[in-house]
Amino acid sequence: MEKELDKLIIDGTEYVTEVPECSIKPYEGVSDPSEIRAFIPGTIVEIKVSEGDMIEPGVVLLLLDAMKMHNEICSRESGLIGKIHVSSGDSVQKNQLLVNIIINK
Amino acid sequence: MSIKRSVYDFLTRLSVKLKGGGDKAIEKQKKKGKNTARERVEDLLLDEDTFLEIDLFVEHSVKDFGMDRKDLVGDGVITGYGKVHNRPVAVFAQDFTVAGGSLGRAHSKKIVKVMDVAAKAGIPLIGINDSGGARIQEGVESLCGYGEIFYRNTKLSGVVPQFSVILGPCAGGAVYSPALTDFVFVVDRISHMFITGPQVIKTVLGEDITQEELGGAMTQASITGNAQFYAKSETEAFNTLKKLLSFLPANSKELPPVSKPIPPDHPLGDDVIPDNRRQAYCVKEIIRGIVDASDFLEVHEYYARNMVVGFARLAGQPIGIIANQPRILAGVLDINASDKAARFIRFCDCFNIPLLTLVDTPGYLPGADQEHAGVIRHGAKILYAYSEATVPKMTVIMRKAYGGAYIAMCSKHLGATFVASWPCGEIAVMGPEGAANIIFRREIAAAEEPEAYRQEKIREYEEKFANPYVAAKKGYVDTIIRSSETRNTLIKVLSMAKQSRTGHPHGNIPL
Repeated sequence: MEKELDKLIIDGTEYVTEVPECSIKPYEGVSDPSEIRAFIPGTIVEIKVSEGDMIEPGVVLLLLDAMKMHNEICSRESGLIGKIHVSSGDSVQKNQLLVNIIINK
Repeated sequence: MSIKRSVYDFLTRLSVKLKGGGDKAIEKQKKKGKNTARERVEDLLLDEDTFLEIDLFVEHSVKDFGMDRKDLVGDGVITGYGKVHNRPVAVFAQDFTVAGGSLGRAHSKKIVKVMDVAAKAGIPLIGINDSGGARIQEGVESLCGYGEIFYRNTKLSGVVPQFSVILGPCAGGAVYSPALTDFVFVVDRISHMFITGPQVIKTVLGEDITQEELGGAMTQASITGNAQFYAKSETEAFNTLKKLLSFLPANSKELPPVSKPIPPDHPLGDDVIPDNRRQAYCVKEIIRGIVDASDFLEVHEYYARNMVVGFARLAGQPIGIIANQPRILAGVLDINASDKAARFIRFCDCFNIPLLTLVDTPGYLPGADQEHAGVIRHGAKILYAYSEATVPKMTVIMRKAYGGAYIAMCSKHLGATFVASWPCGEIAVMGPEGAANIIFRREIAAAEEPEAYRQEKIREYEEKFANPYVAAKKGYVDTIIRSSETRNTLIKVLSMAKQSRTGHPHGNIPL
């Protein structure tokens, strides 16, 4: 059972060949630094900042309990804390939005 | 006790021991479509009546958690040695019918003992894995057992060939012994390997995945590349293993066994690949047209299919073949293909198996995904493996050999013993289209009819560089041969080249 052939361009030459699905992944870019999301499902233990606080990169915003650890969630950029979407004790899913940062330009 | 009585007593004890976990447990094992450990060793793997079992009477000495009342036959593993096609091998087989094949101190000591036998005797080691994992009642003693096995897997690497046949669960730390061995075999619906199982993933990440999807046989053979051989049944897996053994020496000091030369079923003609460089074909057909009896044992058949590797014979002499596969991804080099080829090359170099490289590749796979996943670091492994190898290295350029991929695919510059090109070979920095676009970018843009001008420049570049003669003039290609001459030419090279490795010994680190 021969699979249908696709096209693959290398250095301007178009090759007729099979391109397995998993071998070409589109680049999704780096994540948006103004949205702090949960990298793993877990429980919010403590929120260390309030809306309107000025923050610097590396300041701990909140603690997320997952994998038997209190994981420190920080911002990559400096700026103002916008909306905080969770409260202490909340269970969160992977990739759930936790905090918005208004980044200093 | 009279002698007669003592013999009777012995036979009674023996009959109990040979039953492993007993009839009920055996029935359970059978219901899962699995053979017992003893059947696997005595019936499926070894030549008839060659198994010499050791340590059948070993018992554990654990007192905690009610273990003192438990009698675990052979502590859940069968060990010993025997013969495959009349050549000695050392073997251990975990017995799932005894405490789920769980690994305790006595169990691991038995495995360690048989590994030491393999090391001393210089014979291959075959492990059959079917175990629920660490015996939790034994605590750190069971971890110590794994560690001592890993240590020996590593010390034996590149000294004797090591094989793992996964015939049941193999989870957590247990997966690392197979991962350290040279070849891993998995069987459809029977083998399951993972570090953390579906339940843990569900609890921690909330993700649903079945055992089969996560770490089943096809997953391990095609997605992860952890397993080199996939089989539909246990019998098929053992038959493949026996065939694989027939290509290999017993240890790194010996040469691989030579058999009677048999010509290929369909020898190559002179029109074996398409004229159009953009057209795909299956390189396995080319391989079968070169090697003895058209018999090619492919390694990693389902993983990184743009690179084909495996064993065959040339005039009876085992060789390892590394070939670009234009049928898949145009035969590009990428991360997985690099890892696959590099480890195979290093295995062959460990065990004095000459290499044949068949080249038809347009270069490296472009993409942010590849770059960010470290294609530089992974691609370097092919360069390292080829440069390091001191077995005879023969290269045949079939069509495209472009850029860095030309260098990487065992070029003269990496110490190839012999490089031949077919007349349609194209050794160049890149394909004519890309080259013309770069060299004549301004001229093309300024031309009245840019496309016609571009095509003219492509043709010009093609005529000048898309051939093997520029490289042959410099001596980077030793000779140009018709494809129909390939087999005979390679046989001549093999008879000239010194077969055994001359470089420093090395292990076969997982790559």
